[in-house]
Amino acid sequence: MALIKDQQLSLSHAVTPDVRFADWLNNSPTQGDSVLTNGEDDLPSLLASANKLSMIAIEFGTFADGRGFSMARMLRRDGYQGEIRAVGDVAMDRIDFMQRVGFNAFELRDDQDAAQALTKLGEVSVHFQPSADGKGPAYMS
Amino acid sequence: MYAYNQFDQTLVDQRVDQYRDQTRRYLAGEIPEDEFRVLRLMNGLYIQRLAPMLRVAIPYGLMKSEQLRTLSQISRTYDKGYGHFTTRQNMQFNWPTLESVPDILADLAKVQMHAIQTSGACIRNTTTDPFAGVSADEIEDTRPWCELIRQWSTLHPEFAYLPRKFKIAVSGSSSDRAASQVHDIGLHLYRNAAGEMGFEVLVGGGLGRTPVIGKTVREFLEPQELLSYLDAVLRVYNLNGRRDNKYKARIKILVNALGIDAFAEMVEAEWQLTKGKELRLPKAEIERVKGFFKAPDYLSTKYAALTESDLANAFIEHPQFATWYRQNTRDHKQSGYRIVIVGLKNQLQAPGDVSHQQMDGIAALADEFSFAELRSTHDQNLVLADVAQRDLVALWLKLQDLDMARANVGTLTDMINCPGLDFCSLANAETLILSRQINETFDDMDYQYELGEIQLKISGCINACGHHHVGHIGILGVEKGGKQVYQFSLGGSASNDASLGKILGRSIDQDQVVVVLGQILDVYVEQRETDESFLQLVRRVGFAPFKERVYGTHKRSAA
Repeated sequence: MALIKDQQLSLSHAVTPDVRFADWLNNSPTQGDSVLTNGEDDLPSLLASANKLSMIAIEFGTFADGRGFSMARMLRRDGYQGEIRAVGDVAMDRIDFMQRVGFNAFELRDDQDAAQALTKLGEVSVHFQPSADGKGPAYMS
Repeated sequence: MYAYNQFDQTLVDQRVDQYRDQTRRYLAGEIPEDEFRVLRLMNGLYIQRLAPMLRVAIPYGLMKSEQLRTLSQISRTYDKGYGHFTTRQNMQFNWPTLESVPDILADLAKVQMHAIQTSGACIRNTTTDPFAGVSADEIEDTRPWCELIRQWSTLHPEFAYLPRKFKIAVSGSSSDRAASQVHDIGLHLYRNAAGEMGFEVLVGGGLGRTPVIGKTVREFLEPQELLSYLDAVLRVYNLNGRRDNKYKARIKILVNALGIDAFAEMVEAEWQLTKGKELRLPKAEIERVKGFFKAPDYLSTKYAALTESDLANAFIEHPQFATWYRQNTRDHKQSGYRIVIVGLKNQLQAPGDVSHQQMDGIAALADEFSFAELRSTHDQNLVLADVAQRDLVALWLKLQDLDMARANVGTLTDMINCPGLDFCSLANAETLILSRQINETFDDMDYQYELGEIQLKISGCINACGHHHVGHIGILGVEKGGKQVYQFSLGGSASNDASLGKILGRSIDQDQVVVVLGQILDVYVEQRETDESFLQLVRRVGFAPFKERVYGTHKRSAA
């Protein structure tokens, strides 16, 4: 499956972690690890231990589950600088919003055309809200 | 009113292109049905029983005449020549094709309109008092704040996939005309004891399957922190609202499950991390937006007003004008002016429906008499907010030509009515037939005036788009054993004294609804004390006399 990272089609990248955050937390976490999480995990614990993680993959079990958007937003707000990867039900019609809340990598669903998906980033170029990408309403600039 | 700048225009234009591409990919089979459903809903497009339905946003109910003309043109070009105003101040078109929607959106964008977030599990159109900025009892104009909320909530990347829809209403007068206590968030602008303007914030109100009156989550919010506080409420809801059952997914369920105090603590904890930062509204930005809502160039009282003797003469010359003046106009804060309510409740059209000729006609009247602006209301009427008294007779005569001068605002036949089974795929029962029957049966206007203010609200299913829970008289259509029957409730209100109506008793057959309604009204007329309204009487005497009248004589027809 295709991965978009830092606004480019990525041909070589770390595999998506299969270690779930809760298991990682219970089994001697090490600096530089990567974990898989979703809206069911304890968010305060994730935020508290994020600085140990080099990648946090946030899973969308279904595209309608919007919790991952707030999770990414809060991670970036806390200053997390590692990779936040969207995995699961990830399609081109949501990656622009995902990028704006702080995701920087998107593991696209199998039916998605990666080249077409890239054109969706920034499809709407002006924003009424401050967001993780630093762009915001006109009055902030 | 607010006018788009290049920034706003770019956003809606790019959004049209985005939706056009989504529609193209869906029609080419590149987007799965369930996924496109969510994408189209975020652009206001439903698939109804007979055709798609497109809901166009009218932010806080405010329109320019040219925008209404565009809605009229859209109804002619893409629909069957009429539109329908909803309880959330928007307009619905019942017959567009799915393929034509991108073109409709492009037409809307040319007049600074869109259908963004008029449906879906996201922040919907913010609604407010249709008399904002003009009513005599206003504390503070809500429109700039609604516009600031509109901008912040439009295409919000974090809150587009909430557990369920989210509705915000803002009130800024001593009388709540925005039903703010039955919204996910209700905001009340007021002045505290220190004389500072701020918001009381209510959360967790709503109708639907589980009607709830909103609870105060914050007694006083500094206006500059409005967006940071809303952001905190939405984030707590997005992370914690139930997603396993769509009937338990609204914020009211979360608030009730946690208790308002625990919910308020969670919001407060989140807000402490964000307040005073990037979402704090700069004073200059607030002033910029307020600048769009300055009072128009009113004529001086001398030129605008009618003298008392002129008014008295007009009443003598046109007795029906006197009635219309009493029923359909309201006090204006500007001396010499009146607020005019243009009813969409004549005998021939479904409540809230408006033909393309009427839209063009009312747009012209707005140009001629009310600074080229108009508003839509929560109870499915229109408002010309700034009419000089000296123009009232001329306006009234022209409204008659449009069949829009029926003097029934606030009366029994000024009812709220969802489209029901005639259009809606969720409905269990017809509602439009009831409004027709009620209009035919209670056609004596003097009787309606005698009854005084009665809010009749009719929904065709438990989702309560017709707000039956907060009707003085509510009627809910349900299906029982393949038959459409109707449940009456009494004693609801969406005003300052908000309350939820209680069910009177067993459901009533469709052909008996007007009979039962007549019996309920008879009890009121017989038992009321001087100046006692229907709602006051229900609260005083309780349900016993109504039950006795309806079920004592009607046992056989009850289902």
